[in-house]
Amino acid sequence: MSPFQIIILAALAIAAVTLVVGLVRGRVGRLSGSVFLVVLAAGAVAAVDPDLTTAVARSLGIRRGADLLLYLLVLAVLQGFLVVYLKLRHLRREMTQLVRRIAIRDAERAAAPSRDGGHGEA
Amino acid sequence: MSRADESRPAIPPPLDPEVAAATWIVVPVHNEARVIADTLRPLVSTFSNVVAVDDGSTDGTWEALDGVAPYRLRHLVNRGQGAALQTGTEFALRRGAARIGHFDADGQHRVEDLVRLVDAVASGSCDIALGDRFSGDLAQVPRGRRWLLRGAVLFHRLASGIALNDVHNGLRVFSRRAAERLEITADRMAHASELIDLIARSGLPVRELPVTIRYSDYSRAKGQRWTGGFRILFHYTVARVLD
Repeated sequence: MSPFQIIILAALAIAAVTLVVGLVRGRVGRLSGSVFLVVLAAGAVAAVDPDLTTAVARSLGIRRGADLLLYLLVLAVLQGFLVVYLKLRHLRREMTQLVRRIAIRDAERAAAPSRDGGHGEA
Repeated sequence: MSRADESRPAIPPPLDPEVAAATWIVVPVHNEARVIADTLRPLVSTFSNVVAVDDGSTDGTWEALDGVAPYRLRHLVNRGQGAALQTGTEFALRRGAARIGHFDADGQHRVEDLVRLVDAVASGSCDIALGDRFSGDLAQVPRGRRWLLRGAVLFHRLASGIALNDVHNGLRVFSRRAAERLEITADRMAHASELIDLIARSGLPVRELPVTIRYSDYSRAKGQRWTGGFRILFHYTVARVLD
């Protein structure tokens, strides 16, 4: 086993353990956690037997295994961007609602100041 | 536009006091400390319920609004014009507004035009009255702007199937039920396009009335550019796909 294989397998193992712990404790979603585990396992298989990726690539009409990995990486990155973008959009919307709530609340307090000794909204 | 008209003092035509009292005007304000008092003065003399929404200004706009705007609301963080309009609208609805108008802070709109839009909605002839700068005198609209806005009109005819003359005019009046139904979620400038879509889908009666836009160097510098048009198109398209 080459030094690179040892390093990558160790890294994948650490990632897998972290993920499993997250799954067990319910911090990681079941679906995304399982998908990630499969990806990690596939990575381990590819690290142990690099020729296997070439065989899979060939069966898909791609010449080299490295190219197949590159294409998959591009897809994964795009998917990642989309997820982050959607999260950001959601966050922006929530922020607007928060800013709006504060603006309206403050204005309503200013428009109707609570009488001295009265029960003003705290 | 004739010189005489330019120099004419802004004396709005009389508006039924009851109609005026039940109408709330929302003015989104972002870094307009220099001009906001001049914009609001004629507005406040006609409408008692004017809501200025300071959208996270950093130039002292909030202080400039003190004592000038009957109601001033403050976005602690800048959220964009669409967000500011929606904030002012929700505030006005909570306080029982029968009609809600939108008025730009940079001084490009005339109060007398707003009054005619309010009249149109108050008379029940429509639920939504929109300002239209193209059915009147075109000479005052800068040429580059004219083509940009024409493009927007054509786009909306294709995208929403609504035939309007002027789709990016900030002078608008809504009846209460229209304001309740049309919730602006596009924070930034794409809100104008979003509103047109919402109006088209609502099926509520719409009227466009000719208005005059006062293009000053100030308002022109504040307005949208070509690149802004593309940004609006992008945000609008993304929202149509994702929402």
